[in-house]
Amino acid sequence: MFRFQSLDDDCTLEEEDGGLVAEEDEIDQFNDDTFGAGAIDDDWQEEHKRLAGLDEQPAVGAEGGGGGGMGRESDLGGVENSSSTHLPSSLGHHPLPSSLPSLNFSSSSSGLPPPGLPPGPPPSSMLSYQQQQHLLRRGPAPLGQDSPLMSIIKEVGLPKLPPQGRNDEGRDLSERVPPPRSSSPVIGSPPVRAVPIGTPPKQPMSHSLNHQTHHPAAVHVRAPVQHRYPPPFPERLSPNTLLNIANSPLCRGPFPPGVGPVLSQIQRAQLLNSQVAGFPRGGPLLPGAGGFRPFFGGPPPPHGHRMGPLPPHGPPNHTPPIRHNTTHLHPQHRRMLTQRMQSRGGDRGRTGGDRRSRDPYSNLMTQKEKEWVTKIQMMQLQSTDPYLDDYYYQNYYEKMEKRQERERDSSKKEHTTKLITPQVAKVEHTYRPVQFAGSLGKLTVSSVNNPRKMIDAVVTTRTDDEEKREKQVWNKRRQILYTVEKMYSLLLEVQDFEKRFVQAPEEDREALLEQHKTNTVQLCNSLRDKEWDDRVSDEQCVMIMSVRKGKRLISRLLPILPSPQATAIVMAIARNLPALAKKDKQDQVLCWLVEPLSAVIQSLSSSALTDLLQELQGSEGQLATVLHNKFGVTLLYLILSEGERMQSSDPNCQLMDDNRWTELVFSVTRELLSVPSSSLSPPLFTPANLLSLFSRYVDRQRLELLQNKLQISALSR
Amino acid sequence: MNYVPGTASLIDDIDKKHLVLLRDGRTLIGYLRSIDQFANLVFHQTVERIHVGKKFGDIPRGIFIVRGENVVLLGEIDVDKPCDTVLQQVSIEEILEEQRLQQQAKQETEKVKMQVLKDRGLSIPKADNLDEY
Repeated sequence: MFRFQSLDDDCTLEEEDGGLVAEEDEIDQFNDDTFGAGAIDDDWQEEHKRLAGLDEQPAVGAEGGGGGGMGRESDLGGVENSSSTHLPSSLGHHPLPSSLPSLNFSSSSSGLPPPGLPPGPPPSSMLSYQQQQHLLRRGPAPLGQDSPLMSIIKEVGLPKLPPQGRNDEGRDLSERVPPPRSSSPVIGSPPVRAVPIGTPPKQPMSHSLNHQTHHPAAVHVRAPVQHRYPPPFPERLSPNTLLNIANSPLCRGPFPPGVGPVLSQIQRAQLLNSQVAGFPRGGPLLPGAGGFRPFFGGPPPPHGHRMGPLPPHGPPNHTPPIRHNTTHLHPQHRRMLTQRMQSRGGDRGRTGGDRRSRDPYSNLMTQKEKEWVTKIQMMQLQSTDPYLDDYYYQNYYEKMEKRQERERDSSKKEHTTKLITPQVAKVEHTYRPVQFAGSLGKLTVSSVNNPRKMIDAVVTTRTDDEEKREKQVWNKRRQILYTVEKMYSLLLEVQDFEKRFVQAPEEDREALLEQHKTNTVQLCNSLRDKEWDDRVSDEQCVMIMSVRKGKRLISRLLPILPSPQATAIVMAIARNLPALAKKDKQDQVLCWLVEPLSAVIQSLSSSALTDLLQELQGSEGQLATVLHNKFGVTLLYLILSEGERMQSSDPNCQLMDDNRWTELVFSVTRELLSVPSSSLSPPLFTPANLLSLFSRYVDRQRLELLQNKLQISALSR
Repeated sequence: MNYVPGTASLIDDIDKKHLVLLRDGRTLIGYLRSIDQFANLVFHQTVERIHVGKKFGDIPRGIFIVRGENVVLLGEIDVDKPCDTVLQQVSIEEILEEQRLQQQAKQETEKVKMQVLKDRGLSIPKADNLDEY
């Protein structure tokens, strides 16, 4: 709360203001409009008299405690005036409560002081900031009857209040127009095609302007004003409609209506600053404007309904229907409440809908607003590419539909309500950051789409050698990851191609096909080491497979690669198996590759198969390492089983044409027998025809040994 | 009237009596008057209900605007359904007193626990009252 001492500082402004008053009559008018309605308050008059004499006696807040009873809803932290405690009493005489009990502007009709008011003025600590300012400014001005405000009050008078009976029916709020919301800033953002989130429902433009300026000219407006929303009781104007009418002539300011709130804030600030001349502008303009807002938000509604009768608001002592603790209510109010309770008890038997129709506060949210919220929710469902944005839902929905089609009889064609999301056509937004014409230099207007650069990060190269080496390692890893990511995105596109092809309209299909081909080509190319070299690079493969994601990638990639390249990859794997096995120690994900590998192997020719087996055995001791690794053993078995299948199925197969196959198998069996069982890793699965394979090549004794060993390995799985 | 079939919306809950549980543990009961896209709620004739044991007390609060992110759960109250709970309504003063006692008791036990742990050389870091992400 503001202390009285602050007035000392502000007193010095009075001298400045005195000279300006004459020149800024018009602006002073605004002042009066803003603060003037408060002048209707008798307290203010007394306060004004007091301050005009620059009485610096702080009156002790004896009334401060009284504010507690009413001050439950002190939301704006405004005035807790002394007469707030006496509101209940004043209510009885004049049912004209303020909407915000803590800001006491309600009081009474002109000339009738609220009963029980203390003769002394309330302490200035109770006054709001603006009131203080206003009082200060009015200091040099003539007091009492000559004050323009007083004359206005006399001229206009306070409006007649509606008869008591009206209150029983409750307050009709159906014509209430909520304050319009500001739309999202346009400046600095790309041009908006769709309605952005936060756009208010389409209301007349005057609303948005009115809200922004907060200068109610309520004092000038007569009660019988025709406005767009004819209420059931014409005398009662909701504060907002009143504001709207009142302000529309005033607010077509220098700024065009299409200006977004950024400018309107400036506009607001400018107006504020122009009329609140001499006001200490500590901070920059906008925060000052922002800081003012709470105060401006407060008084206008009360001002608004100074002219209008009963505001569309509940009784100040806001009691919900359940509440029974109504000890602090005015007796009349309590009577009203009990009446209402009785009536509610009377229609308890009726339906809820009927009750809602009698609820005076229903439909605060207009249909338009409901639609607006719904629109926002729907907008979030809009998508140019549903497969990208909502992949799982789309797939799920397809499955459901298929299932439904299967289950449902074709005769009963009932369709469940489907959520049909609007398909927005893909519009390319080329975003160009906004530029002001004729400005010196580049002005940055930052918005959510164009955020301001906070830190000027500069890349510095480090010269230290060691760091360089370390960095190289990291760089390499990063490179690998990057390659993997790129390949992944290509892969996903390729895999999604079919779905999109089906979905796409005829014209797009050609393009899609082309795209698909390019993608596949690109994928293959990425496996190559150098541009001109057509073969799949070993190094590249190994590099990719050194990362967990890379292995996954390869496993998904293998099925869609053309045969020679797939073979090449398999060869590369076999060749580098020890290295791969070592790198895989942590992840243990090589086994992902088994399935696609088996598919590839089964498509191999006999010579290729032989080559593969050779690769697997490659260097010295490689086979031992292979056997040590689960994946390796599985791979070996796959190869052997494939060979066996070839031999047994096709007697003409060329597997036996050269001795390579036989020799390789011999070496394998030798290795298998020599390797200790402990180091023999159990495979993922043991193909059934291995035994028949071995039976071709080894004698009985060895066969039995092998059998035991492999079975042991199989059992120990 | 379902505005958007297949989705959940608060639009149908407007003007109905609701109970909302906030992240700070408060329970509010009021008529839901308005919503927005962030599920900010405007409650009318709001009552804060404090529960202590089997007793509860209602504090009238007037109009509440709840920021959407602070809502834990929100549910409609059926005004027609007979209220046959074992809960007993008491006055505000009493419930606040009860709440104070409950808080005190909790603090006492907490203190004792901390002391016991300290004696054993253990410590359990106290969870902050604010959310941790």
